[in-house]
Amino acid sequence: MSTSKFLIANKFDAAFSALVASRIAFALFGLSNTLKHDQLLSTPLSSYTQLREGIFLLRNGVDPYSGGTFRHSPLLLALFSVILPESRTYASLVWTIFDLVGAWALVSTWRARQNVQKTSRDKVVAASYLLNPYVFLPTLALSSSSLQSSLILLSVKYAAEGRASPSLLFLSVLLHIDLSTLVLLLPILLLLISDPHSHLASPRPFSANIRRILPLFGEFILYTTILSTASTIIVGGTQWIPQTWGATLTLPDLTPNTGLWWYFFTEMFDHFRPFFLMVFSVHLLIYVVPMCIKFQYDPLYAIFLLLGVLGTFKAYPTLSDPGLFFSVLSIFPEVHPYLRHPIVTALIHLHAALLMPLFNHLWLNTGTGNANFFYASTLVFACGNGAGLIDAVWAGLRIAIGKETEGYVVVQE
Amino acid sequence: MENNPPPPNPSLLGSIILRLRERLGVNGNVSITRLQRRRAFVSMFTRHLSRLIAVLLVLGYFWLLALPSSFLGRWVYIDENALQPGQVSTYWNWGDVHAADKYLEQLEYLRDSNATSDQRAHFLMSEFSKLGLSSATQQYAFQSNMDYRNIAGTNTYAVLASPRGPRSEAIVISASWLSRTGEGDGTLNLRGVSTVLALARFLRNYSLWAKDLIFVISDGHLDGMHAWLNVYHGAQLSNLDAQPLELASGVIWTALNIDYPGHSFSHLGLFFEGLNGRLPNQDLMNCVQHIARGTGGVPVTVYDHLEWQDPAASPSELSFLPSPLRHSPEIKDFAHRAKTIARHIGYQARGRASGVHGLYHQFRIDAITVFAVPATGPHGFHALGRIVESSLRTMNNLLERLHASFFFFILTTPDRFMKIGSYLPSAILVSIAMMFRGLRCWVDARWCTDPPPIKKSDQSPQTNTSFTARSRPVLPAMIVMLLTHLLGVVLFFATRSSWFLNDQKLYAPALALATLTVPLALSQIPYPHDSKIAPFWLVLKAFNLCFASTVISIITVLNFSLAALLAVALGLPLTLSSPSTSKLLSWLKCLLYVFLASGWLFLYEETREAIWNWEILSVWFAPFVCLIYTPLVIQAAIVCTWTYP
Repeated sequence: MSTSKFLIANKFDAAFSALVASRIAFALFGLSNTLKHDQLLSTPLSSYTQLREGIFLLRNGVDPYSGGTFRHSPLLLALFSVILPESRTYASLVWTIFDLVGAWALVSTWRARQNVQKTSRDKVVAASYLLNPYVFLPTLALSSSSLQSSLILLSVKYAAEGRASPSLLFLSVLLHIDLSTLVLLLPILLLLISDPHSHLASPRPFSANIRRILPLFGEFILYTTILSTASTIIVGGTQWIPQTWGATLTLPDLTPNTGLWWYFFTEMFDHFRPFFLMVFSVHLLIYVVPMCIKFQYDPLYAIFLLLGVLGTFKAYPTLSDPGLFFSVLSIFPEVHPYLRHPIVTALIHLHAALLMPLFNHLWLNTGTGNANFFYASTLVFACGNGAGLIDAVWAGLRIAIGKETEGYVVVQE
Repeated sequence: MENNPPPPNPSLLGSIILRLRERLGVNGNVSITRLQRRRAFVSMFTRHLSRLIAVLLVLGYFWLLALPSSFLGRWVYIDENALQPGQVSTYWNWGDVHAADKYLEQLEYLRDSNATSDQRAHFLMSEFSKLGLSSATQQYAFQSNMDYRNIAGTNTYAVLASPRGPRSEAIVISASWLSRTGEGDGTLNLRGVSTVLALARFLRNYSLWAKDLIFVISDGHLDGMHAWLNVYHGAQLSNLDAQPLELASGVIWTALNIDYPGHSFSHLGLFFEGLNGRLPNQDLMNCVQHIARGTGGVPVTVYDHLEWQDPAASPSELSFLPSPLRHSPEIKDFAHRAKTIARHIGYQARGRASGVHGLYHQFRIDAITVFAVPATGPHGFHALGRIVESSLRTMNNLLERLHASFFFFILTTPDRFMKIGSYLPSAILVSIAMMFRGLRCWVDARWCTDPPPIKKSDQSPQTNTSFTARSRPVLPAMIVMLLTHLLGVVLFFATRSSWFLNDQKLYAPALALATLTVPLALSQIPYPHDSKIAPFWLVLKAFNLCFASTVISIITVLNFSLAALLAVALGLPLTLSSPSTSKLLSWLKCLLYVFLASGWLFLYEETREAIWNWEILSVWFAPFVCLIYTPLVIQAAIVCTWTYP
């Protein structure tokens, strides 16, 4: 028994080292220069170039938020003006470390869900994050969305392990980096007061005392207040708020990305803009409560589904947002047999993943296409994400009914 | 399923079924009807799927064959209203023709005295300077491990600063030293060069230019202009060693390349295919041909194909047809259009530029070559000068880059073309058929129809065949696919290495043999015969077809001709790949597929040309064939090495 455990551990270490080595090799390949301007991999809110510009402005005594181009959080500004190495190679390594931390957090979450120390599946889980092209291409492009994914995974990991303080601290840092991660707050609080184990097959009403989330929520507010104060002190004013949080809500920069917002708002008449901004923002929030109620017996699954919602509908997504959703799918092997159309989802993604860079190129480089081409390909991408999300919801509910008996069919009422 | 006995345990499943049955008591249960409808549809779909695939394939291939038909085309028109072609009086007259003749004499002297590139360039530069234009030369050299071509030379260019505009936009009028005749076989383009010189002399007299005019005489056929354009746009090519340009101008929007190899011409031929299958905006071509017909009075053709009605046209090649068909005008028209499309596919699918204009496209410049089809008459400098003058006036009218969706077309005759909607479905239909076949294989891999012996199938009387689920070896199939594509990378590096290029006759069979060993080696790996695991080949075939289908449908928007070729080369073969009953037959089939995959290695000249295009002009046809096409067919070959037990 102990030898087999040892073997598993050894195998995992070997596999993990191989993955780490391959990722570092990729990082040193020097692709960041060609990829950093790719619109699929970084947005105005997560671009490395703009981060560098902000740091440059800060060091030279210019308020980085005065120009309307810098939209990173003051926390990132402070962090990277201290640790950001000037050399591209070191930057690539730092970004790869973000991914490694994310993979480690994902494996820890998986272990916490299984309630074991080590499993033979650990390497599959790690590989699903480290080798996911949607995750590692933004990392190569030095997009801060990689950091965001790692923080989400860290927050979820600590929540799954029942450690409220680090989880809520990471979540409030995350809130400063990207406002839309607010949708994860409720399921993470629920996860903190319940357990991360799989109850998908045996649904039950929420057992823990719901009042326990109030002090946790207070803690979260406390952290957020402290971090906001810190941000204000770093910048020397509150001008960062409209430039960072406000950008997520008012969409000032319509640079194309993989999401559904930019094209819609380029076509919009100005007097409809506030209304539709409200609709799009509220649309993200309306999923939170239904998901948490339906999956009250398994808040970790609700978090997973809300990651899918974020990857499909948030304001400034990069490839790493849907990538995170598909990587996290690997910690729910129990639902895999109940997915209805994984091959269709995979094929839509294959098409979208090839069409998006192609149409972006046809529009912006060769000039034979136009914005509609690229928008059409992002719609295909959204269909792929939506298909994955709907299938995950179905599989999560379907597993409770059990294996299909000969002659019986499960239908959705 | 509604007639079943109640389930043994009252679980959640049971309660749902009970509720279903309760509902059934009421007339018209929605879920049941929906379920029945869905089942009926699914069973109909699966029953007729093979027929549907066949229909889609046949439709797709027939559509490809019908591309030259007159039903699919429509008349050309000009989309951009700012162009206003042929609305101006032209001033080019016999005095300018005389000047062109004088320049020609000097160029002929240079030719006869075997002047070097540098001498020629300096002559041209001094001629431009005499006209008062700022001019300069540029030396360049390409490094390549294919040393059989001299790829170094000197370009000359001159800039006529715009008297009217802010000098932020420019039009290029160019001629290469070598004509495009025989794809740059060495015929000189002396009259083209003297036309450009005489045009420079003539055009500087007018103050109406809103854009800079850049006159470029590039050395060689394609290489000179490639060097000039790359340096102009600041692109860094690792294998190009070129002088920087001394004169600068604005953004180039349009360009006209003049090719006039004979001593007179009868038709103007339009050449438009660019590198990597990029086409120029069709408005440019439509304007030039409108002007050529109206202002110049010169008939226009696509390429140098003369219409069959033309007395100068070569006699019909349709001798294989019975005589009443051979002389039917519809058949002749069809054959003429088919010839044009075939030539178009030949250029576009291989990513070749059909002339110097093709190099401009990579920098988003719309350009075409006006080719004076050599003949004994009746046209010469006079007509050509007027046409170019009027065309430049039209380009001068542009207020923004040519845009709209006029980049996707197939020109069948000069005045008829096909829109994207009338040719795209052909390749897409084939690709859909392949996708359906792939998904069918995927489903077949999951379900096994013959019941395992332990289970009694008579318990479910209403179904004749019971299905058992199998697990599918997804990961091994993916790994094998990845391996074949990695081998494609190796193949690519092997073909562009100097030892391969120096001794193709020896290494081509060696490489083909090496490709053959891949499926044969893989077939030797023992594979567990387990009724619970789907056969490996079925999963591989499913992935192979799905990926090939995706590649075809995505390439259609980038390079339709390549997609059409792929649809022909991959459509039927990949759909039909299957194991055989005997070892011998399976090996024969495998051999056939490997030949389909790597047969191109034996087209020596073609391979060299493709690699040269990759090395010098970055045409991705060669890597595409090695990295995508060959591996896809090899995967089909691997499928064929299996034998039924």
